[in-house]
Amino acid sequence: MNAVQTFKLTKEFDSLVAVNGIDLEIHKGELFSLLGPNGAGKTTTIRMLCCLLKPTRGTASILGYDVVRTPFAVKKLIGVSPQDTVLSERLNCWENLALIGKVHGLSSNEAKARSKELLETMGLMERAKDQVRRFSGGMKRRLSIAMALVSNPQVLFLDEPTLGLDPQARRTISEYIAGLKGKKTILLTTHYMEEADSLSDRIGIIDEGKVVALGTPQELKTNTFQMRTMVVSTGNLTAEVISDLQQRYSRLEMSKGRLKIYHKELNFQEIVDYLHSRGVAVYSAALEQPTLEDVFIQITGKKLRD
Amino acid sequence: MNFWEIGKRNLKEIYRNPVLLGFLLGMPIAFMLVFIAAAGGAQASPIALSIVDEDRSQNSSAFIQYLGHVDAIELNQPIYSEESQAQVDLQDGRISLYLLIPSGFQAAQHGNQTITLELIYKAADPMTGLQLKPVIEAVGSQFLGVPPPLNVELKGTESEIKNPAVNFYFPGIAVYGLMILISTAAGIIAGDRERGFLIRMFTTPAKPWDFILGYSLPFIPVLIVSTLIYLGVGMALGLTVVGNLGHAFLIFFLIGLCSVGIGMIVGSLVKSESQTGISWIFIVPMAMISGAWFTVDRMPSAIRSIAGALPFIHAIDASRAVLNGSPFSAIVLDIYWLVGWTVVLFATGIMLFRKTMVS
Repeated sequence: MNAVQTFKLTKEFDSLVAVNGIDLEIHKGELFSLLGPNGAGKTTTIRMLCCLLKPTRGTASILGYDVVRTPFAVKKLIGVSPQDTVLSERLNCWENLALIGKVHGLSSNEAKARSKELLETMGLMERAKDQVRRFSGGMKRRLSIAMALVSNPQVLFLDEPTLGLDPQARRTISEYIAGLKGKKTILLTTHYMEEADSLSDRIGIIDEGKVVALGTPQELKTNTFQMRTMVVSTGNLTAEVISDLQQRYSRLEMSKGRLKIYHKELNFQEIVDYLHSRGVAVYSAALEQPTLEDVFIQITGKKLRD
Repeated sequence: MNFWEIGKRNLKEIYRNPVLLGFLLGMPIAFMLVFIAAAGGAQASPIALSIVDEDRSQNSSAFIQYLGHVDAIELNQPIYSEESQAQVDLQDGRISLYLLIPSGFQAAQHGNQTITLELIYKAADPMTGLQLKPVIEAVGSQFLGVPPPLNVELKGTESEIKNPAVNFYFPGIAVYGLMILISTAAGIIAGDRERGFLIRMFTTPAKPWDFILGYSLPFIPVLIVSTLIYLGVGMALGLTVVGNLGHAFLIFFLIGLCSVGIGMIVGSLVKSESQTGISWIFIVPMAMISGAWFTVDRMPSAIRSIAGALPFIHAIDASRAVLNGSPFSAIVLDIYWLVGWTVVLFATGIMLFRKTMVS
């Protein structure tokens, strides 16, 4: 059984089709990232999976429980860290965690033990008794994730868990999420491509309400970009060498002593040897891997934070 | 000229916010309408007056008939011949005041002697008597001609109540104080909804009634403490508790719950920035037509019907009656009304939460 399964999941708001027939299968223990430009339908999809929005058409289930017919069974299995770090501002960490834990059915002792474990893991123990309104954004975000985890959910929804954080706080949270891999099924949305690249088992790119690409980060890069790229810094390229290279490879770009070669298969050593043989000075050379951001922009045709 | 630009911006913020604009312009209009309607205007209701005719003479009958033609007075039937029966009816709340025409009325008229009429009201409700006294004086002088001189004496019933004004005003002000819970409850829910905290809670297995109870239970200690403070302050200011204090407490508790229920509904429906205005648009006119500050006896019947359908007038009337010594049987209908409203409001709140949880 899949942890998350959707079939033709659709949500319409009047004339706007926010989510358009999405089919997803997220396996147990998988970390699945949902990427997409703003307004692509990511949050609407998550809201339907968390039983906050009723689908217009199609079905969705969490560990076999239908989100429309058995919402309370679904809610017992999930933990949600929303995009906005909504906490009870005048409660302290213990109280916030106990609130969510007990609503999920934990006893006082269980909630306390689980909270202690999470506060230590998240580095919040020192400030655990302070009202959270005095916390920094990073601390609030860590507590928000802890609140999603306090009930020990089987499926975790993390909506932009590192949004607006400084690099240090982002790294801490990313490392923690990486530590959960395999233990929980995680559905992550993020605008940070490198984060999705390093953390995800699989990625779904969603645009205009549809899943437009699906696969492991490597599969997405390989499938999206048929050609590999090599970047060479050179000093003395001649027209003859350029002409020769243009005949050998699919595409060539040059600017300010920087040569970029595109071709389906590239042999690093062969290119360097060729340039040396033609008396071209090679200062540096590297085979360039496409990034997930390249994939994203290639597929959606949009810059990220538009 | 920065101030000018800032001023322009703020003016736009005001006139482009229909709720704020509605509150600013609508509130004074609502106030005026309610005041005019409550004061009666051209369609003011007559005051129901009972008569005790101890003289039972031709002249006293003629005077009663004359009173019956006065627009401001509606004569209750039958006319009492013994004051003792009128006293019982006044005490039990069947009548609100009576005019005593003493024996010797006709003789005094013929002998041009001073005639003294007594207008007897329930000690805790002096307002109607005060309104009626000048009417009786004017009508009486017209009927009797000049002379003989007429003296209308306003008398409260014999009562343990030390300060009738305090006993009259206290219940209304206490209920008005508890109506403020409408705004408080609405503010908390609307704020949590807008900040997204409720959305987060909606992803947990909590049920709609968990939210209703979770948001209303914290108000119970607030309600208890407020009521105790009101009673304490009232007693310090001269409130006399003749009846059962527990019954009064029950009434205040129920109207407090109703207020919390209304607040939860308002908070579920409107934005936090709008809720204060909307709550107060509701609170002030309702307090006014429910007799929180002055008697509703002279209000038009339409206004009294609206007030009667709402819970507040029942709380005010019942708490006044109980504090002044009425037994529980006299307020049992008001209690049913308050319990009914509490149930309806909380059921509506649960329904709204259920709807809000999945959109």
